[in-house]
Amino acid sequence: MQTRSEQEPGRWPRWTLAAAVLIAGCGKSPNDDLGVGPKVDVKPELSTSDAVLKQPMTPAAQPATEPFEPPPLADLDAKASWIDRPVKDGLVLLRAAQAAEQVLCSVADAVALKNDSAENNGKILSALGRLPAESEADTQARIDRHVVGDLGSTNPIMISTSAEFDILGLTGFGLFSFGRDLEPFASAETVVSWQTSADGLLDKVVMRDDLVWSDGTPITAHDIAFSYTVIMDPRVPVPAVRSGTDQMKGVHAYDNQTIVFFHKEPLATNVWNINFPVLPQHVYETTWEKDPTLKDSPEHVALEQSPVVGGPYEIVDRTRGQQIVLRRRESWSSVDGKKVRDEPFFKEVRFRIIEDPNTSLLAIKAGDIHEMILTPEQWTTQTTGDDFYERNTKATAPEWVSFHFGWNIESPFFADRRVRRAMSYAFDYDEMLEKLCYGLYQPCAGNFPEDSWMSPKKKLVPYKQDLDTAEALLDEAGWIDHDNDGIRDKEIDGRLVPFEFSILTNQQPLRIAICVLMKDCLDRIGVRMNVKPVESTVLQDLTQKRKFQAYFGGWGSGVDPDSSENIWKTGAMRNFVNYANPEVDRLFEEGRRELDRAKRAAKYARIQEILYEDQPYTWLFWRNSFYGFSKRLRGYVFSPRGPFHYSPGFGSLWMPSE
Amino acid sequence: MNRAASHGFWAEAWRRYRRRPLAMAAVMFVGFLITVAILAPVIAGTKPVLCRYKGKLYAPCLGYFDRRLEPVIFTKDRFRGEYPRNLKEKDPESWAIWPLFFQDPYRSVRNNEWPGRPANPSRDEGRPSRTNLFGTDQYGVDVLAKMVHGTTVALLVGFLSMGIAGTIGIVVGALGGYFGGWVDMLTSRITEIVMCVPTLVLILALVAIVDKPTIWKTMAIIGCTGWTGIARLTRGEFLRLKSSEFVMAARAAGAGPVRIMLRHILPNALAPILVPITFGIAAAILMESSLSFLGFGPPPPAASWGSLLNDARSNLSMWWLVVFPGTAIFLTVLAYNLIGEGLQEATDPRLREARK
Repeated sequence: MQTRSEQEPGRWPRWTLAAAVLIAGCGKSPNDDLGVGPKVDVKPELSTSDAVLKQPMTPAAQPATEPFEPPPLADLDAKASWIDRPVKDGLVLLRAAQAAEQVLCSVADAVALKNDSAENNGKILSALGRLPAESEADTQARIDRHVVGDLGSTNPIMISTSAEFDILGLTGFGLFSFGRDLEPFASAETVVSWQTSADGLLDKVVMRDDLVWSDGTPITAHDIAFSYTVIMDPRVPVPAVRSGTDQMKGVHAYDNQTIVFFHKEPLATNVWNINFPVLPQHVYETTWEKDPTLKDSPEHVALEQSPVVGGPYEIVDRTRGQQIVLRRRESWSSVDGKKVRDEPFFKEVRFRIIEDPNTSLLAIKAGDIHEMILTPEQWTTQTTGDDFYERNTKATAPEWVSFHFGWNIESPFFADRRVRRAMSYAFDYDEMLEKLCYGLYQPCAGNFPEDSWMSPKKKLVPYKQDLDTAEALLDEAGWIDHDNDGIRDKEIDGRLVPFEFSILTNQQPLRIAICVLMKDCLDRIGVRMNVKPVESTVLQDLTQKRKFQAYFGGWGSGVDPDSSENIWKTGAMRNFVNYANPEVDRLFEEGRRELDRAKRAAKYARIQEILYEDQPYTWLFWRNSFYGFSKRLRGYVFSPRGPFHYSPGFGSLWMPSE
Repeated sequence: MNRAASHGFWAEAWRRYRRRPLAMAAVMFVGFLITVAILAPVIAGTKPVLCRYKGKLYAPCLGYFDRRLEPVIFTKDRFRGEYPRNLKEKDPESWAIWPLFFQDPYRSVRNNEWPGRPANPSRDEGRPSRTNLFGTDQYGVDVLAKMVHGTTVALLVGFLSMGIAGTIGIVVGALGGYFGGWVDMLTSRITEIVMCVPTLVLILALVAIVDKPTIWKTMAIIGCTGWTGIARLTRGEFLRLKSSEFVMAARAAGAGPVRIMLRHILPNALAPILVPITFGIAAAILMESSLSFLGFGPPPPAASWGSLLNDARSNLSMWWLVVFPGTAIFLTVLAYNLIGEGLQEATDPRLREARK
């Protein structure tokens, strides 16, 4: 076990809370250049985002938390029989992993390579993904990053979109994180020890005592307990992070360093529920009661502009819609003149906000930004020449983001499973993967990634186009062209309803092209589909209100399969397609309570099989990560959640000194 | 006065118009576009112009104008949009007359769909070639087919929207100009209010609200907001003409206001009004192209020149996606402007005199 003591300086926490984010607002996100649709990420690593949906955002009738009297710590210690949990440093883990890896080529060779084969991609990742040797990194460097949308808020508990996660992940304070393998741990930069009681109902964390907010006040356990209270206050319009915390009974600080999390049940997901953003109590305790929106009062407006932060970076400049500049916080790495932690590699991180992918490509070619997500078209045809390779290189790796057509089961068309299966049989997957996606994406058969532990052992076979089967299924379901107008129809409530419906998608060209391909496929079997591209925000609104017949969207898979419960459980808020299956509901319930990984896996595998049979979605493809990087950048390492959203993630990037 | 000098106003105008070679070329170009628009499914398509199948004659190409015009028998017999192979397989006796270019404006032509011809090139490989004269877009759809079928949209937008605008503008302007007083006050204020409505924003709002945003609705909005200039001009003409001698004579003869307006004033006021209408057509075509370029045009996969330009934006090295539709938009707008200018000079006596 690589548990580290607090004396060893670690790196900053990179708490990876909100990769769970919905892509609200901008509809696109850095890890979502194609946009993953209405709500992209399935609140990946913790049960964050269903908060938005489960919990009303307006002042609610429900109590914040049930009154709860924490027992004395001595009593807890006497009864709990604590089990030690890992306290790690993501960067140290990565360094250890890299020490065991063979380097496939030299940096000079890798920089000269063109990424036109899997072999070269491997070489580039191997040579340029290395962490720096002693004093190899330029610690005065600035990195210019790319985000596709502005921040909605700089308050970490308001985190919701991927852009916010990118930025607030660097300024925010947290106790927990997870590594490249998506296994959770407490961060050695902020935590001394983490223990869980044998009954799984308690988690105890002892924090380090050398942590301060950007205004110089110490960060204590009381800040964490306070943040829990604020997050659970129904008057506070928390968009995403409440859904994990609502599974807890309470959080109590016993002294400045010791904090205990009390769970309602011994759930497998408790480990994610204790990971939530932290606010400075001394700043908000007086203002919060006066203005529970946390953004309307003059004090909160001022805080929004220059927040008091606990992470390794602080916001020093913000021009709305253009850029956000973060600077390394000296008080993160040294307290009272004593070095207590390693400082992050970059002195300054500048986020450039560019929405249009063509514009950002021009920016990276000109050297104005150092990294960006590439679309399949950009990867294949526009980043192959010297104009791109002069300053940049690119890399790819698998990522757990999948896309689908969602069929609204409450519409008259898709209530019948046979119709949904017919839709899946009608689509031309080969044409989509080869022509529209440039052969870069992988076929997808269901909601859990094929190589993940929760996926069925017997691989599900992705659907293939089979128009005969599709037509036979539609005939069987009663959709036959009765009135000889070339469109299938069916008598519903005494009225002949033609099979003509609309599909919603956002306005990205690739998505529209995929919908148009589906339109053509359905046209061939006597079904009319109208493609309706709408603004991302409109798409979100309509899907949340279930005002659609079909939509095109995507989800980032959660680190824990339980995170997709709010997509499939009957009546769940992100269950846009109104799917209802008691067996699936039961399996999610059981999966959450099952602590044995193998038995848990069997339950989720069964869910996947049921969904495969029911086809509430037509699953289309897994979208891999495709990134362009400046040749000056080093240290990028991909996880199933992309190169940034894990630990160390962004923290492993560096630039060599000239 | 001799007979030769007694040409009517319009015959005289036409005589003068014909003398302007550029204006005439413009008229011919628009005529050419109209022909292309009407014959679009004959020029480019994957559905036979005419075919004999199981003993009967069909024209599946009409399906390009309206999906319901495509004979049902081909859906029933599971042709699935692929005519050449299915016609032969399902009725060896069948024959068909095919469009000039076997290319579809809405989808890529598949491998061997036309016997012996490979699938359309996609990605950035679709340079102009013998099978795809204007090249193909990123998804393998033929640019020529798209442009040919997009002509219909471009022309319809111009004619229909300005038809609507012309009608509203002339009625409102005529009422205000002829009756004066509070009627004029009212119509002038309405005109001013409508002038303040930003057309583009209104169309964007429509796209967001309406369930099926069609090109017809876009045209209606362009028409309903673009009449103000016409109304003001009509009003001015009516104000001028209503006190002229021939109107007084008509009134003295007992003609009612409707008759005077329609029969006596309007024909004399029409020439100057036609000019802004022609320019309006050009503006409407540009507006539609801009909307499509911004992604708010007719719903996909409708073929439109502007949306082709939009496709080009993501890969500028595919010059054929810029050059061909760009030229088409440029020439069409230019043609309408030339026609407008020609009309102006042919009908405006002052300009006519100046040119002598």
